[in-house]
Amino acid sequence: MNDIIFLIINGITVASIYGLIAVAVSITWSALGLLNLSYGFIFSFAGYGAWLAERHIYGEPIFVMFMGIAAGIIGGIMVCLIVFIPVHDKPNFTIRGMIGTLAVSLIGGQILLQNFGPKAKLLPEFFGYGKIKILDVTLTADKIGIICSSILMLTIVVKWMKSSRRGLEIRAMMMNPHAASIVGIGVRKTGIYVMAVTGAMTGLSAALLSQTYYLSPFSGLTPMIKGVSIALMGGLGSVRGAVIAAIILGFNEALTTKFLGGRYVLMTQFALIIIVLIIRPRGIAGILDKAREA
Amino acid sequence: MSDIKTKKRKTWKNPLAVWGAKGGNHEVPTPEWKNPHQIWRDTKAFKVPTTKIGRFHYEYKSSNHGEKIWNRLRWWPTRRTILWTQGVYNRKSLKPEKIRKDKRPIFWFLSLLALAIMPFILPDGYKNSLLTAGGIFGIYASINLCWTLVIGTAGIFSLATYAIVGMSAFLTTWLSINLGLPWWMLPMIGMFVGLAFGVIIALPALRLDGFYYGLLTLGLNELCRVFITTSHAFGAASGGLYGADTFVNDNWEPMTQTIVQYYSGFALLIAALFLFRFVDGKRIGRILKLAPEKKEAFAEASGVNYKRARVTVFLISSIALGFIGGFYAAYYRGSAFDIFSFHTVIMGLAMITIGGIGRADGAVAGTLIIVVLDRVLVELGPYRYIIIGLIMMFTILFLKNGLFGIRKQFRDWRDKKKGEARSSRLERGGEMLPEQATEIDNKDEIYRKRYDKMQREFLKTLICDEIIEEHKQKPLGQHSEALERVCYYFRRGAMNDKYVVKCEVPFKKYKIMALSGVRGRSPRLVEDKIYDTVEAAYHGLFLRRIQDLMEA
Repeated sequence: MNDIIFLIINGITVASIYGLIAVAVSITWSALGLLNLSYGFIFSFAGYGAWLAERHIYGEPIFVMFMGIAAGIIGGIMVCLIVFIPVHDKPNFTIRGMIGTLAVSLIGGQILLQNFGPKAKLLPEFFGYGKIKILDVTLTADKIGIICSSILMLTIVVKWMKSSRRGLEIRAMMMNPHAASIVGIGVRKTGIYVMAVTGAMTGLSAALLSQTYYLSPFSGLTPMIKGVSIALMGGLGSVRGAVIAAIILGFNEALTTKFLGGRYVLMTQFALIIIVLIIRPRGIAGILDKAREA
Repeated sequence: MSDIKTKKRKTWKNPLAVWGAKGGNHEVPTPEWKNPHQIWRDTKAFKVPTTKIGRFHYEYKSSNHGEKIWNRLRWWPTRRTILWTQGVYNRKSLKPEKIRKDKRPIFWFLSLLALAIMPFILPDGYKNSLLTAGGIFGIYASINLCWTLVIGTAGIFSLATYAIVGMSAFLTTWLSINLGLPWWMLPMIGMFVGLAFGVIIALPALRLDGFYYGLLTLGLNELCRVFITTSHAFGAASGGLYGADTFVNDNWEPMTQTIVQYYSGFALLIAALFLFRFVDGKRIGRILKLAPEKKEAFAEASGVNYKRARVTVFLISSIALGFIGGFYAAYYRGSAFDIFSFHTVIMGLAMITIGGIGRADGAVAGTLIIVVLDRVLVELGPYRYIIIGLIMMFTILFLKNGLFGIRKQFRDWRDKKKGEARSSRLERGGEMLPEQATEIDNKDEIYRKRYDKMQREFLKTLICDEIIEEHKQKPLGQHSEALERVCYYFRRGAMNDKYVVKCEVPFKKYKIMALSGVRGRSPRLVEDKIYDTVEAAYHGLFLRRIQDLMEA
């Protein structure tokens, strides 16, 4: 029993990190119509930003974490300026945008490789090494910190989107981009906000994941693919769906590891995603008939 | 008419009045006489600037050989001619000429010929590396052609192409190692592997659309990668699985081995091109051209079962990809894990987007560019990926559909610029524009319009209060010269929209109508005003015509 709870907490920890990227992918798709596959690059970029800050500016873990978020914001805005703004009004925008973000991640990954080398880097532990025991289950500060900071970030973003003027603009873009542009919401300006916010989420997930695992020029690929899968299962464009999907996949990961073995995690995960998508082609919380027509 | 003060008043006397002519005025004030030839002289006068007009045809036209025009070579056993030829007449000399409507077969033939004789013309220093890259090019171009079938023809945005090839390569290699299968069995078994994977991957394609499916297949690719790299059977530690039987004999000289590999890759490319031609260009491809994305409902209403056609194309290309996977295993004696990596997917997408998605020539040319950058210019190191990324960025930022869309894009741009230049020179009611004039065969029409414009310009100068007053007094009969010229022009006008007087009640009610100019179509009423006398109606009609003339 303890094992299972331990694994479930593990799963939730991982899911909260991937969930951040999933929500980022989801918001970008629904607000901008951009399938951003350069989150892998933004992830590594933010990780290296945090690493540089730790080395050269100040080593305090919380500061490093915020620098990771800041670097993620810069990376997101960069992708927005390079890909979204020049391409968003061209024909076949979706496929162009996707290929553009892939090109950015190709170039960016190589530049990171050139500057930092293939050797893995490690960020400091942000949350110390404390432990709490609740009902025979040991919770490390690390895990609690990861879960709490992800939930905090997500809450801030959702609150911001619900209550601020900018959030209103972004939600208007999600509902109907044409109508939004008619009532005077600038597509480019909103694009920069959206990419900055999603970049911040990716930056946080990069900082959180790089302190547990490691950081390398291409370490963002797996989180991105997992994030995309979660977003897909939850329904592109739905924050709620992405959160539900992240939790389901986290449980799935824990249970599969327990009963089948770690090798089969991806298999059961994709079997689950395919089943969900065959039943509901637009994901768990996606609207069934209306797709976003960019 | 407002500038009546500036015009000198003159008097016109009816020359027929002496003989007591009926109708017409005897003596009326009239504007000063103007020379009707002056406007012709003014128009003919040389006024810079002149602009270049017409379009230059660079197209090569071969001379027609008379009787033999119908004795064309044909592809046996079809009636299809070797090249699509059209007979035309030279517009100036009226000589019969022939043009090739579609020159792409010529370019395909020349480029494939160049690839075929490549081993004999390459300098010895580069021969080995270039031929090795050539073999890789053949395999990748075939994969990309099958992918183009999936993305372009079937319109299924699948990113799992390399996953099918990789799974087929790994499974056939494993079978070859463990069961000792000979090399020629590998592509055959690969076809079954491809079919099995195609069926599994095609299932969600029926429900999902567009990019949802693309993202799912991206995940499937990752799934295959993780499955293969962590599995002990497929050599988890060695970076790949090697040891399959191969058609290249180790006892041959190294150069012979390279040449055999090169030509086998070339043969695979030819086979893939034939597959593309027979799927994309035949019935099933044409069915799918009726059902592009977002127009599926129309295709369905037309009786096209597009879903079935899409899945058929998907399965055909999956089988072909499985075949290529088996071939890949027999070519390299196995496969590396690299084939499943995200990097490979990016490179593959770069290959098909640079050339232009959905076109065979685009897929092959894009593959050539990327393979040359990736495999031949190895000394550039990681910079070559940056170059590839920049080329991709350039393509999506500036080109409509890759390299092979440049031609159409350029023509559209040129026509747009032409249109802009044309509209900047446009005059209302003007004569024909120079650009239009070159494209009209009946030159009389150009002269008529030109004359008509000058005539109207001249007549506008004659319209003044005097002649209107003169017409009001006596609409019929002999008029002064100025009014007579105007009336002649009006009477000679075209029948469509020509004004006529309609008699509702004789001597009481008259109305103005406009003729339709088409036999059998009735005239339309232009205004509700009722005139008491026919003379008043005549004058009202005259005023309407003057208004049209001044406005045109």
